[in-house]
Amino acid sequence: MEENLEHSEWMKGIKETGFTTPSNYFEELNDSIRVKMAAERLRAAVPRDGHTVPPNYFEQLQSNILARTTGGATTSKQQTKIARLWRSNVLKYASAACFVIIAGMGVYFNTNEQRTIQNNSYTDAATEQMLFDIDEEMIIEHIEANYKDQQKPTAKETALENYILNNYSQNDLTTNL
Amino acid sequence: MKQVEDSEILEKFSNIKTRDEAFNLLLNKYQQKIYWHIRRLVIDHDDTDDLVQDVFIKVWKNLENFRSDSQLYTWIYRIATNESITFLNKQKQRNNTPLDEVSGELEETLVASSYFDGDKIQMKLQRALLTLPEKQRLIFNMKYFDDLKYEEIAAITGTSVGALKASFHIAVKKVETFMLNEDITF
Repeated sequence: MEENLEHSEWMKGIKETGFTTPSNYFEELNDSIRVKMAAERLRAAVPRDGHTVPPNYFEQLQSNILARTTGGATTSKQQTKIARLWRSNVLKYASAACFVIIAGMGVYFNTNEQRTIQNNSYTDAATEQMLFDIDEEMIIEHIEANYKDQQKPTAKETALENYILNNYSQNDLTTNL
Repeated sequence: MKQVEDSEILEKFSNIKTRDEAFNLLLNKYQQKIYWHIRRLVIDHDDTDDLVQDVFIKVWKNLENFRSDSQLYTWIYRIATNESITFLNKQKQRNNTPLDEVSGELEETLVASSYFDGDKIQMKLQRALLTLPEKQRLIFNMKYFDDLKYEEIAAITGTSVGALKASFHIAVKKVETFMLNEDITF
């Protein structure tokens, strides 16, 4: 009876579970275990890497990063105390008086400035008209005469120039000047 | 102290009134992790200090556009990794070292560093790690020191889990061989 049960078709189905493994899994399993054991041995022998940082480095690092991103603002910003600006009436009236004086001075100087600008614009127009009336040839002659009067380089300067050109290459001049 | 959830940080950051507070929370939660992640890659403390600040400035500028379909910490780790690798590549270009080779300069930096107080075996491990190609070193660090899962490392590096496992296995074998061939046993 038992033998019949073991060899029956539905019993075969139970023995095959239907689970599978990736291809070459058992060939690679040995290697994986060996590597894991080597890593664990290494970890036990060398638990830390030996690198260190200066004292309080991470506090400083956080401040530096915050200064370059949020502008140094942190949660403590919310706890900032607010000071009242108008503590007494004297301060209030003094501020109002200052404001009136500054505003008055502003109006006074602005009016004066406008007058000066107006005067200047009249002068500019007159100068332009005068230049327009002058003969063009006269202007050219005047410029040429002034150009001739300009100082020519002295002998010393010419000699110095020649000396530099003879003794230094173009590269020397570009790199050293 | 209970650590604040990423979702809470993101929610606070989306509100302009609590944005600064959210960033402060984010720094409290991640600045040390990111510091050590970068430090193990670039070795030098001062270079790490510059990079970690750059990383968090990038995070500050781009967090508004961060899409919550990926994890916040994998996103920050990814920025940190990219910044570090870019830095190392620039360093190699300055020293005319081919990009796929390990710079001997990192070992010199390690030896000269005022901020390394490791004993002989710790120094040996660091030297062993510096013999690894950059990607293997990165994966080894994240698995061994940061204890991240392969799935998390995959999200950070954009590499498949299978490839990561293979890289980690090769890295461990190389480190083990290096350590056993030296005069220090473990």
